[in-house]
Amino acid sequence: MQKKYIVAGLASLMLGMSACTNLEETVYSEIPAQNFYKNRTEVMAAVLRPFTHANAWAAPTGQVGFWRVSELSADQLAWPQKGRHGFDGGDWIRLHNHAWIANDNNAWNPWRLMFWGMGFCNNTIKDLSAIDFKTIGMTDEDKAAIIAETKVLRAWHYLKLMDLYGNIPIVTEVGVPVSPVNAPRAEVWAFIEKELKENVDLLPPLSPALVGRVTRAAGYAMLAELYLNAEKWADTPKWDECIAACNKILDGSCGSLSGAAPRLETDLLKPFDNLNHTSPENLFQITYDYTVGNFRFGWNGDLWHYEQKKLYNANFNGNNGIVVIPTAFDAFSDKDLRKKTWMLIDTAKIDVAFRTNFNDSIVKGTEEYAGRPLVFVKEIRRNSEGEAGEGGMTRGEENSGARFNKYRPGPQTSNVYWNNDFVLYRLAEIYFNKAEALTRKNGGTATQEAVDLVNEVRKRAFSATDWPTEAYTVAKLTLDEFLAERGREFIFEGKRRTDMIRFGKFTTASWWDHPASGQDKWELFPIPYNQMILNKNLKQNPGYE
Amino acid sequence: MKKTSTFFMRVSWLGALLLLTASLAYSQSRTIRGTVKDAKDQSPLPGVTVRVVGTSTGTQTGGDGTYSLNITTGAQLEFSYIGYETLTIAIGSGNTVNASLALSSRTLEDVVVVGYGTLKKKEVTSAVTSIKAENFNPGVARSPMDLVQGKVPGLSITRVSGNNPNAGASVQMRGITTLSGSIGPLIVIDGVPGGNLDLLQQEDIASIDVLRDGSAAAIYGTRANGGVILVTTKKGRSGEPQFNFSSYLQRDAIAKKPRFLNAEEFKANAPAGNDLGGSTDIYDLLINKKNLSQYYTLSATGGTDKSNYRVAGYYNEGEGIAKRNSRKQYGGRLNVNQTGLQGKMTLQANLAANFNKADLLGGSNGDFEQAVQRNPTAPVKKPDGTYLETTGFNNFNPVARQEQELSERDQQTIQGDGKVTVEVYKGLRVSAFGAVVRNTWNDRQYRLRASRSSQQDYQGGGYAYKGNRVELDKTFESVIDYNNNFGEHGITALAGYSYQYSTIETYSANNAGFLTDAFQDWNLGNGLYRTLGRAGMASNKVDNTLVAFFGRVNYTFRQRYFAQAILRHEGSSRFGANHKWADFPAFSAGWTISEEDFLKGHRVINQLKLRAGYGVTGNQGFANYQSLILLSTGGAYLQNGSWFETYGPSRNPNPDLRWEKKKEWNIGVDFSLWGNRLAGSFDVYQRKTEDLLANYDTQLPPFVTSQIFTNVGTISNKGFEIVLNAVPVQTKNFSYNIDVTFNRQQNEMTSITNDQYRLEKLEFGGLPSPGALGNAIRVVEGGALGNFFGKRFAGFDDNGKWLFYKKDGSKVPAGQITQDDLTVIGNGVPKMMFSWNNVFRYKNWDLSLFFRGKLGYDILNLQELYFGNKAWFPNNVLQSAITKHKALNDVPQYSDYYLEKGGFMKLDNIALGYNFKLKSSYVRSLRIYAAGRNVLTFTKYSGLDPELEDNGLTTGIDGRGFYPRTQSYTIGLNLGF
Repeated sequence: MQKKYIVAGLASLMLGMSACTNLEETVYSEIPAQNFYKNRTEVMAAVLRPFTHANAWAAPTGQVGFWRVSELSADQLAWPQKGRHGFDGGDWIRLHNHAWIANDNNAWNPWRLMFWGMGFCNNTIKDLSAIDFKTIGMTDEDKAAIIAETKVLRAWHYLKLMDLYGNIPIVTEVGVPVSPVNAPRAEVWAFIEKELKENVDLLPPLSPALVGRVTRAAGYAMLAELYLNAEKWADTPKWDECIAACNKILDGSCGSLSGAAPRLETDLLKPFDNLNHTSPENLFQITYDYTVGNFRFGWNGDLWHYEQKKLYNANFNGNNGIVVIPTAFDAFSDKDLRKKTWMLIDTAKIDVAFRTNFNDSIVKGTEEYAGRPLVFVKEIRRNSEGEAGEGGMTRGEENSGARFNKYRPGPQTSNVYWNNDFVLYRLAEIYFNKAEALTRKNGGTATQEAVDLVNEVRKRAFSATDWPTEAYTVAKLTLDEFLAERGREFIFEGKRRTDMIRFGKFTTASWWDHPASGQDKWELFPIPYNQMILNKNLKQNPGYE
Repeated sequence: MKKTSTFFMRVSWLGALLLLTASLAYSQSRTIRGTVKDAKDQSPLPGVTVRVVGTSTGTQTGGDGTYSLNITTGAQLEFSYIGYETLTIAIGSGNTVNASLALSSRTLEDVVVVGYGTLKKKEVTSAVTSIKAENFNPGVARSPMDLVQGKVPGLSITRVSGNNPNAGASVQMRGITTLSGSIGPLIVIDGVPGGNLDLLQQEDIASIDVLRDGSAAAIYGTRANGGVILVTTKKGRSGEPQFNFSSYLQRDAIAKKPRFLNAEEFKANAPAGNDLGGSTDIYDLLINKKNLSQYYTLSATGGTDKSNYRVAGYYNEGEGIAKRNSRKQYGGRLNVNQTGLQGKMTLQANLAANFNKADLLGGSNGDFEQAVQRNPTAPVKKPDGTYLETTGFNNFNPVARQEQELSERDQQTIQGDGKVTVEVYKGLRVSAFGAVVRNTWNDRQYRLRASRSSQQDYQGGGYAYKGNRVELDKTFESVIDYNNNFGEHGITALAGYSYQYSTIETYSANNAGFLTDAFQDWNLGNGLYRTLGRAGMASNKVDNTLVAFFGRVNYTFRQRYFAQAILRHEGSSRFGANHKWADFPAFSAGWTISEEDFLKGHRVINQLKLRAGYGVTGNQGFANYQSLILLSTGGAYLQNGSWFETYGPSRNPNPDLRWEKKKEWNIGVDFSLWGNRLAGSFDVYQRKTEDLLANYDTQLPPFVTSQIFTNVGTISNKGFEIVLNAVPVQTKNFSYNIDVTFNRQQNEMTSITNDQYRLEKLEFGGLPSPGALGNAIRVVEGGALGNFFGKRFAGFDDNGKWLFYKKDGSKVPAGQITQDDLTVIGNGVPKMMFSWNNVFRYKNWDLSLFFRGKLGYDILNLQELYFGNKAWFPNNVLQSAITKHKALNDVPQYSDYYLEKGGFMKLDNIALGYNFKLKSSYVRSLRIYAAGRNVLTFTKYSGLDPELEDNGLTTGIDGRGFYPRTQSYTIGLNLGF
């Protein structure tokens, strides 16, 4: 009897002991990397990841990225404190005043986001190199084209990182080396030039099917920017190279989104509207489709007042953050159509479709102007308290400053609602780049060809009546005027800091309440403090040691 | 609805009375009677448990110490009473058995549950607290944890959402030990690790045992860093069938209402143009003044020595202090036990279920934030009958939200478990245990077409949501245990295998743009947003496997030297490929000095025992799949004319990922003095939790993302705990018992850096907008946990603008303060906790007064910071904005100006009960009681309640939105028949 118990007991025990010791995890809702890249769609899903990531840093979508620090440190845009809103630990005031430090989110977060995007490129190159494309129904030509595109995209990340930080590590392999050294800016510049030159002609020309992708048009636009700034970035002027790169685009050999060659729009809003994926002016953009792709260029958070959505019959909220600096608003003449088109200053009536009752047709304020009509004013000062004078960064109110109106989403009832692409390079910039290179090559005096190029862009901003007096001549288009006009044309496009530095104005000019910051160190952001601590091989930028 | 509830309640109470008078009990047994007295002063002892040995037949003595018991079998009676030696007397031929009980070395023979088995209290060598049902906090428990709140030294139990029927308690043992893992203790219900508290009803719990230190908790390995709470439910017992019925009614009342401006005061102080013509106290409109919670449970137990059962069912309606904030639940628990094979084989099976339906709409923090800040001159509705929405930043009409939205949860939780034990040889038993716990819920939401949300975000087309979740935990364990004595040596040993597999599946969908409100969420596909491509849909599944081999040996020598060794070898699927398995050893020893010849029979010292232990435990309570390279979505991008999701690595992979590891020393002493009138214990501990998991900064480049989830940091905690039980008065009719607990603890962030990865600081307690005031709490290497870090207030300038101290002591405006000027300005973690329980018994009456408190911490008062400031106009403000903070004329800033001392003592529980002496042969016992909870608070804190979340890493912040704190009043009855 006893024996039977023992047998029965041990049997039940053994049942347990022989049970599972397998600790593999079964992944259900994400994808283990080794199970991916099984077909073209999967491969491309990884190749395109850095593009959607660039949404976070290249475009004004709510994060401290390249766009935000480039605009808020320059003379056109600011995020002033507005009553109890917007002090935000003084972050935006430090950007405006040129007072950031190495241990500052303004220094860290752009680095974090941009190197993260660069890391996606390295990761794609690593993963795809290990795959035999023939086994997944693709060709070696596909592989070469994909890797060329990813390398150019990676070069673009380095270009923008170099713009902000100057001396940065060059890493082309995930995880290797663990603690890279930072290369001097000229060396970084040379690396970018090499990567672009080696790959740009392997890229396909721009076509409607390749909207949003790195094509030859994007590649040459990057080269044009690289060469235009070469004097600053690599201590060597490259005006001819810049002109050559621009010509590649202008002559149509890089393709276009519409027709054989890119061309300027005549409508000021067309490059930015919710159908701008077809605009012949655009060369490289982050493409979005809210209605189908459910992915949207969400500028509302940074750039809209809380109630601004009502003006458009849109349904995304604003944080009442970034506004136009009064002096930048005044830099547009009243005849300049860009002033009223790209900026919002007057009260606007609520879109009819958004009304909930007949009387509800005026957008009302919620703070200083609670219950009263919301009328944006160009000043940033306490108008409600009777303040006069130029105001200041802590003196804003909810209606202070002209507002962003360059991109408009369309009404939420539209089937192309908020489908706007964020434009990174457009033909107008190539016109300006070539004109500037011609001018600088000519010792700083504009040539007629340069004037013609700028005028071609400028012309659409004026009525036919006004144009004869507003057109530039060789005498009128001085370097200062060149910078001012570049500012007017590219306001809100994230290029202002770069332009001011190239023109030598970033630390020497004063604007609105911002006195000249004086020191060269402000032309570069510091290597972020936490990276300096983690990576002993990094050397801090001059002035931040 | 209200009418029906009241009606149902009445019917139930009537039913109870009917049962009381009408129930019949019939038996042919003889009746034994007798009186039980104190051996010393011969006073009768009420409440003594009298039991027939070898059966479960038993009763209790009445107020005069007498009892009567019908027995059919049995030869011996056992008399047991807390604080007295248990006495066994043979039943002679007569029908009278009297007993005299001597004061005991308290409860040393009590059984303590220690995981995979039990020990006698005298054999315990680590810090373990065992609380039996009779010592639970009286009155009503929203959560089973409420039953032992304040009873276990070092165990912090905080009801962070007040008495919200849909919120649980926050629980933490001996301070925080983790940065990213589970904070609370492992809950083990009837042997199922990770048991679901929803399945526990107050009346079904027999005991709650808490393994406080690592030397005891190591048997649960990777999940024991937060301590272990073992809950044992009541089981079937043989003997005469018994019924027990319990019921209570409870009402909550606001303890303290915030003092905001009324309409008249608002008009006098707010900027012109903000008078909307009405006068509304919207806070009042959110309160359910007639709230009533009710509870009914009936249990039955019976059977024979060889097979017996207990079955219980309950119905409960809980209403919160807020409107649209309730929970209705019912369920039951069944226990069946059987012994066979000549007593060599036992089977135990349990089945428990809980079905509940919660109204989740009301009681949100946001509603009560609006209640304070809404313009009091704003009527709830416009003249045309639609709701008036004020236009201020972040404003909404909370009454409209409650009327126009719906948010409900239907939840079902079921646990089934069974255990077979076979004694294969004398003292050697083998058992197999299996359990399945399934927890599912369905959520539904709808927002009317006319609602603010629908109007603003969904073009006035309504919004509907449905979501569900299924959690399934399967456990299998087999254990061999051996128990034998060899002369003066005693050995208890066990070894086992444990396998647990858990999955969580979720699914949700939402749609908007409905033509009509008629469907609510019951025709989800019908909305326009689906065709527009803007409907939402999501699903997710994760799994986790834990496998362990474990063993424990307890050795006793001469009943005075004790030793225990534990080893658990455990693996978790969450760990990285290089570290799948871990070992958790523990060792502890005890020496009962009072059993030595030189102390035996000492006049003062009845018992004295020294204990020391060391144990290693782990924490695997972090998300699944963290060690793997996974690709996750990054938004859709155009691919060959179609929009496809993009995929990229979601994190830096870490094949070295492993558990957090705690090493803990515990030294303690148990004592009992002066004829056991004063007893207690003292424990001192030191613990170091290493390899703390967090997202640490890493080199970027070359890594893809800037952080890696890895094991780096160390937290140290140390402290001591005191428990005292005293019996100052014990006479025939009157007794007075005191229980005191006290603990003090200190926490330090010892390290957050290693050679490769580091964090400069950890920040918690993000302050709400506007103004992006940053995080309130900062932890740095070498610093305390829970430090408030910010500006130092230096006064106001002539215009009422803030001035703060720079590092050098100069006073400057806010804009000139930099990171360098910020410093530690306070700490939100209580240094000390105490409780003080007083139980008075006079004849049939009993009264308990339970005080509880926390000391030595600061509170950041966010209600004052934001609402106590004139800058909050045109929203409403607290009265303090125009009184206490009148001088302030600036936007909100975070500084030590808003820190207050947070110590408090609460009269947390007061209960008065009466046990009827019934001569009826139908009714075995009847007790009625009245109780109050959170009755009085003694504090210097100016806010609503000084008891805030003090577990975890975000501590001591009194939020801007809050669930009203309440006093609860209960009447109830317990009936046995």
